[in-house]
Amino acid sequence: MRAYILRRLILLVPMLLGASLVIFLMLRLGPSDPAMDYLRLSKVPPTPQALAEARTMLGLDQPILTQYLHWLGRGLQGDFGISYALQRPVLPDLLHFLPATLELAALALAFTLAVSVPMGIWAARHRDRWPDQIARLVAFLGVSVPNFWLGFLLVVVFSVHLGWLPPMGRAGPASLILPVISVAFMSLAINARLLRASMLEVAGQRHVRYALLRGLPPRRVERRHVLRNAWLPVITATGMHIGEMLGGVLVIESIFGWPGVGRYAVSAILNRDYPVIQAFTLMMVVIFVLCNLIVDILYALADPRIRQTPEEPA
Amino acid sequence: MYSRRSVLGLPLAGVLLSLPLPVRARSPSPGVLRFAWAQNVGPLNPHLYAPNQMFAQGMVYDALVRYQPDGTVAPALASAWEVSQDGRDYTFTLREDVRFSNGEAFDAAAAKANVDAVLANRARHAWLELANQITKAEVLAPFTLRLRLKDPYYPALQELALPRPFRFVAPSQFRDGGTKDGITAPIGTGPWVLAETSLGEHDIFTRNPHYWGPAPAYDGITVKVMPDPNTRAIALRTDQVDMVYGLDGPLSPDTFAELARSGQFTTGLSAPMETSDLALNTNRGATRDLSVRRAINHAVDKDMMIETVLHGTEQRADTLFAPNVPYADIGLKPYGHDPDRARALLQDDGWEETAPGAPRRKAGQDLLLELCFVGTDAVAKAKAEILQAQLAQVGIGVRLTGEEESSIYARQRDGRFDMIFNRTWGAPYDPHAFLSSMRLPSHADYQAQLGLPDKAEIDAKIETVLTSTDPEQRQALYRDLLTRFHEAAVYLPLTYATAMAVARPEVGPLVFGAMSSEIPFERLTPEAG
Repeated sequence: MRAYILRRLILLVPMLLGASLVIFLMLRLGPSDPAMDYLRLSKVPPTPQALAEARTMLGLDQPILTQYLHWLGRGLQGDFGISYALQRPVLPDLLHFLPATLELAALALAFTLAVSVPMGIWAARHRDRWPDQIARLVAFLGVSVPNFWLGFLLVVVFSVHLGWLPPMGRAGPASLILPVISVAFMSLAINARLLRASMLEVAGQRHVRYALLRGLPPRRVERRHVLRNAWLPVITATGMHIGEMLGGVLVIESIFGWPGVGRYAVSAILNRDYPVIQAFTLMMVVIFVLCNLIVDILYALADPRIRQTPEEPA
Repeated sequence: MYSRRSVLGLPLAGVLLSLPLPVRARSPSPGVLRFAWAQNVGPLNPHLYAPNQMFAQGMVYDALVRYQPDGTVAPALASAWEVSQDGRDYTFTLREDVRFSNGEAFDAAAAKANVDAVLANRARHAWLELANQITKAEVLAPFTLRLRLKDPYYPALQELALPRPFRFVAPSQFRDGGTKDGITAPIGTGPWVLAETSLGEHDIFTRNPHYWGPAPAYDGITVKVMPDPNTRAIALRTDQVDMVYGLDGPLSPDTFAELARSGQFTTGLSAPMETSDLALNTNRGATRDLSVRRAINHAVDKDMMIETVLHGTEQRADTLFAPNVPYADIGLKPYGHDPDRARALLQDDGWEETAPGAPRRKAGQDLLLELCFVGTDAVAKAKAEILQAQLAQVGIGVRLTGEEESSIYARQRDGRFDMIFNRTWGAPYDPHAFLSSMRLPSHADYQAQLGLPDKAEIDAKIETVLTSTDPEQRQALYRDLLTRFHEAAVYLPLTYATAMAVARPEVGPLVFGAMSSEIPFERLTPEAG
């Protein structure tokens, strides 16, 4: 197990290097000129002289590989450059905004699990009855309703008409409720559906029937024989939901005036603020990869078949 | 095992929703105005640009003179001024009762230090002609300041009124003897003091206790960061902000119309601030033909565009500058919406109809034009689609090219467009600074005018008008230039953009600044209580 984790961690290095190169090159393949973007965002008229100065200052007159290595070298020392639009160092600002985003994403994840697991079990127990139909309806809505639209809808109902919850800002637990629901809705719908299907599948297997025939109490069979097997696809899916959630949070933050990294990144993308986009994307890759690693480890812990597979020869 | 069992079961965590929390917030204190803006106001260095927000620089720092709606200037930090005979020396008598918000005195020495700090970074301000013109600032007496110019430059006073860079920070806040590398704290002489900044959340301004002018009615202004226009509308409706104000779509036009209809808010539109137009390229494709450019001007129904896309939030533009712009009220005859006239112009010039709705042809060439706009700008896209439909009716085919902002900028610079969205600069830059920029190859106007036979003459006349000392000669030159642009149909003026303001009724009557970059919070008169 330890060797497995270690190997996965070592694999991170080439993966991040590759990701950073792709991120860097993709931005530069676009039709726009970073020097021009820099001047536009600094509100300097782009005279030929100003453009030439900006190119030199930003190192755009160097070969692209040199530019990349330069960026990478400084990035390794924690310096991701200065935002074109805000004229502030990128990394401290990213770290300033990150906690608010993680707070939202983590709560959304917790909310997803807290709702989807009971709902999935409930739906499976009452297959094709009304609880199952409700869960089906929720799943149907969840995958069809875009999160930003749901966000506005919740605001209109609970803030504008009923006045129960704050529509925006980050002030106390009440201000978390609407953004968390908006972000989590799709994932919880999928998760509940997945758990239900998985439970029904496992419930039909021989070992479960046998357990029931042995006269074990159904709840115990459910807990020890059905759920333990039905978890596995849900754990994998949760890993993917973390990515979805972080993506969802980015959009939702703009709607709810949530001072997180998403709003910072979305305006950077609209502005083509290269240093911010690069640093932000790379940070997301790191978070994403780490989350997947954690999920894989959890998977191994949950499933003895994986854990006990002897290490294959390299 | 589950198909036959019925157990009423596990609670849904939807309980969250069943706990109503009373949160409808009132203003933190009745004397604070809550305002929404897309981003933080920045470090508020008066002599630098982005990310400093101009409206906030205007709140904290004063200029020597104040720009007025009629294009003239009124006293501000300078109570009086004299211009020498040759138009090169400006001598200002400064008010003697002005203090910075930290209590330090504002005098000619402080003013000179600021002008010097701006000139120490001259290259950065080269876009502003006044920064190139000032050769030096001199202290003649404790409260007398003289600025010397290279040439007589008539818009000097107007450009001194701008929110940046000729405004004044306490010299004690300079870093390394200047301001180009930052300032210690934003200490100005204006009505407001920046008290607190919270990144991505808000900026808080309080009243400047030392302000020399009439004290503002509000105790403070809280600027909340809200980048999304829909969020701002919701914030108004849920009493999270008191006012939204701005020129570049602080709210979408339909939201503005809806809020106005609701009757719950005070809404208002300013006088024309800038002109939104299309530059028609006289140096490329079919728009080389005068007949085509004039036909475009006749073919477009701007009133329909204003009604449908803009919900009445802007006014129809018939000329490059609105009549309220200095020197621009010269009675030019509008082209007027007349599709038949447009068809006749094209027919007479040899652009033959092929099939109804299809582009006309002349000498084997299709009458097909490329219209370039910023693809993410929903309003520009809607306008472009209307233009496409209306031009098709007279036989002009339009290909829409929606691209990223920087690509559109690049096209403006190198002339890769037949038609492109363009904007004048607004007060106090119109008309002088906008015309001045027409001489620079990096501007869409220069590129669009390049095919005019008299382009060289136009540029020479612009040069002359900027240094003319005789107001009558100046008016004559402007009349000549603006008439040429109009006759040659280099532009399709679309609308005069206006600033929009929406506020809760408690804010009282809405007031608009003379410059689009200023928001006159200090002139608001909230209702008692």
